[in-house]
Amino acid sequence: MSIWRKRITTGAVFVFLGLVLWGYVVGPMVATFRESVSNPEGGLTEYVRFFDFGRSAQGESMLGSLVISFLSVITAGLAGVFLAVLLQRWEFPLRRVCQVLVLVPIALPPLMGVEAFVLLYGIGGTFPQILGQLFNTSPTTFALNGFAGVLLVHTLTMYPYFYLSVSAALSQSDDALEEAAYSLGASRVQTWTRVILPMLTPAIVAGALLTFMSSMASYTAPLLFGVDKVMTSQIVIAKTNGDLRFASVVSVMLAIISVVFLILLQTYEQRTIYRTQSKGGARKRQQITRPAAKAVTFAIAAASTVFVILPIAMIFILAFSVNGSWRTSPLPSQYTTQNFLNMFKDPKSWEAIINSLQMSAIAVVGTIVLGVISAYAIGRKRFRGRTVIDIAMMLPWALPGTVVAINLITAFATPSAFSFGKVLVGTFSIVPLAYFVRFSPLVFRSTAAALAQLDPGIEEAARSLGATWWYSFRRVVLPLLYRGIAAGALLAFVNSVGEFVATILIYTPRYRPLSIAINDELYLANYGTAASFGVLQVLLVVIVLIITRRLEHQNSWQKAS
Amino acid sequence: MTVLRLEGLTKTFQRGANVVDAIDLSISAGEFFTLLGPSGCGKSTTLRMIAGFEEPTSGRILFGDRDVTYDPPNRRGIGFVFQSYALFPHLSVARNVAFGLEVRKVPRSELNDRVSSALKEVQLTGLDSMRVDQLSGGQQQRVALARALVIRPKLLLLDEPLSNLDAKLREETRAALRSLHSTTKVTTIYVTHDQSEAMSMSDRIAVLNAGRIHQVGTPDEIYERPATKFVAQFIGHTNLLEATVSTVSERSVVVALADGTELTVPLDRRAADVILKPGERVGVCVRAESLQFTDDSNSISGVLGDVEYTGPVRSCVVKTALGDIEVEVPSSATARPVKGETVKLKLSGSAVHLVKVS
Repeated sequence: MSIWRKRITTGAVFVFLGLVLWGYVVGPMVATFRESVSNPEGGLTEYVRFFDFGRSAQGESMLGSLVISFLSVITAGLAGVFLAVLLQRWEFPLRRVCQVLVLVPIALPPLMGVEAFVLLYGIGGTFPQILGQLFNTSPTTFALNGFAGVLLVHTLTMYPYFYLSVSAALSQSDDALEEAAYSLGASRVQTWTRVILPMLTPAIVAGALLTFMSSMASYTAPLLFGVDKVMTSQIVIAKTNGDLRFASVVSVMLAIISVVFLILLQTYEQRTIYRTQSKGGARKRQQITRPAAKAVTFAIAAASTVFVILPIAMIFILAFSVNGSWRTSPLPSQYTTQNFLNMFKDPKSWEAIINSLQMSAIAVVGTIVLGVISAYAIGRKRFRGRTVIDIAMMLPWALPGTVVAINLITAFATPSAFSFGKVLVGTFSIVPLAYFVRFSPLVFRSTAAALAQLDPGIEEAARSLGATWWYSFRRVVLPLLYRGIAAGALLAFVNSVGEFVATILIYTPRYRPLSIAINDELYLANYGTAASFGVLQVLLVVIVLIITRRLEHQNSWQKAS
Repeated sequence: MTVLRLEGLTKTFQRGANVVDAIDLSISAGEFFTLLGPSGCGKSTTLRMIAGFEEPTSGRILFGDRDVTYDPPNRRGIGFVFQSYALFPHLSVARNVAFGLEVRKVPRSELNDRVSSALKEVQLTGLDSMRVDQLSGGQQQRVALARALVIRPKLLLLDEPLSNLDAKLREETRAALRSLHSTTKVTTIYVTHDQSEAMSMSDRIAVLNAGRIHQVGTPDEIYERPATKFVAQFIGHTNLLEATVSTVSERSVVVALADGTELTVPLDRRAADVILKPGERVGVCVRAESLQFTDDSNSISGVLGDVEYTGPVRSCVVKTALGDIEVEVPSSATARPVKGETVKLKLSGSAVHLVKVS
């Protein structure tokens, strides 16, 4: 009977998802936990030491991570909210240009982007050199190092979390709400504190949680600014020293913190989403009429924008510099286009690019299969364990790359059924596997979002007209979802090509991906070569952003119907 | 000939009461049948089970002699029109209509003929290549209708198809649906919460509340002889007065209202389950339009409350010892009711209907 066939298919999908998620996400986490308590004397007492701040390596690193994350939330929050209000509420010359440029940090490549900060503000960097010459002192007086450097990187790379959510909230808010407040006798200040800010709270909280999670996961900034008293650095150091057990202990703790924040984020988003009921038109912006005020606003906006895009500008400048031509001047002294030519001529560079593209492509195919099946199953089918699958799907998104890498190492250091009886550590395939695990949530989320916009009646209509499930899936559902799927897959691809944090722990020198090549070039102080790779990554991000934008615009008919 | 039969159809959602509670129904060929009830009464769920979008918890669905209870929707040969229309946004108008024929692998030339005649039937000729989001709501509704009809369904199911249209368009579409039904003769099940839609279009109506059928009948029967208190109050403007049975004779029954007023009601003016025994409590349904102002002494007196002018009638509230009573008088009546006036209401035993109160 067909009722049984239907149940069997749903059951098979559920089992498939369960196996994949257990094999590559949850199982590896359990393996890491087992590893962490493998010391017969230590056991769970290792975890108690986390709360011994300042005296144990665990406590010290957790305190360091937490402090940096809290401060990052505050600084990135101030920057993001400030820019959002400035650009959404006031009209001034070049506002539209600024609005585009403040999003540039999104295109900043993971490793080279952070290095750009070091080269701008760190020891021997551009600004310390300029200031040193200006005040005739040693450049190191003005150099950012350690903690402050990490904070600067976090602020300038994570403020978009606040900027995007707050500007979305501001642009959706209805003029009539404010006018209602004024008409009820509220002053300007009261309107802001009693109406506008409370409406922005969900956006700010969401931004804060995201920033906190990203800061906890951040590894590259502490690495390049020489901060090792954070959890991610401790994990990598322990792993490099061969102490997998200690790396596991810190990984598990970091995973727990990340998961707690994931749950906070999801429950908070579900509880408080203010949507204006009215349709409303485009928001009116405040026109600035007094010339002095206009000049000041413009100057502030321009300065912030320049500051924000400096790192990317730096990458482009460096990409044309001759390796080793930069010693005691604010900028390199010799320029060339050779770096780009070498990329194709030097077999080692070319190989790294090809490796990265291959690994990313393999991973993306996997993310599409898993992302689409899981999004469809969760969005359209009712079965027991649906919520569990939903949480497990989003889990890798919350886990820091370092933790994902340690999980895979502990799980696949020995043959397992999920690796078809092979040891994966030290092979080519563990890298695409890590990308697959890390970036499946991106495809899952964007597919789920597209599916949520799709009237379930459309599928039922197809079925009632005689289409089998498979026919309606192919001819109706997929054509309507493919934009969402493509957007997620492209994002997964870009992220894979740039991935550094997990890669550094699991790659094997025989198959060196791009991010490791950049890291090696930086180690040799070949800034020109490294930056030219960086430019390649930036271009890739820009292309993908343009395509995604296009897709979203074409998407409008989905909402119209 | 019975086209559709529901036997003890029941649907229970997780941890809840029965949304559809043991419904028995049989629908004949060519009928325009309406499921009418307030939102949440289970009418849409019933329709979706007939279509195969939901599985019943228990009971059977038969198309003719064929048990289709667990058949998937694509093997039922039904046409379904959704409240949201559910047009395929990536296909043109013609491709939307052609979808069901393409699935059935109808030859190209026949397919084109059938699509254009279906579009002609709903007066959309010439819009074939338009994108569906370029159409107005009314046009989208008609594409949905053409798409469902072109496959020549055994059964056409309509789920509140007019609720997204504005008032004027709704009336036009109502007439269009009715005439489409008389030309195609397709057995139609129509779901709505709007009693005037149900009354004006249906051959028969089933009134549902809380998952149960309260009455099945023609629009006249439903209006004139409500089977339950719920039906009486859901259809039209009805006053429900409590009364006690005094005496029962061969032809009629005398009931006493709370203020002692006695009414002689013909025996056929009662629901089947009313118990006629002296002392038994019954509900007296009085339609607002069946009440008149009078000078008679044997009448209910009260004070006029708010008067609402609605065009053809004036709707008045009269405050009486029996509670507030709604009265509708034709606007053409010479005496114009004024708020605060003392009035007397004439209640005729032959214009009321008795229902069970509890």
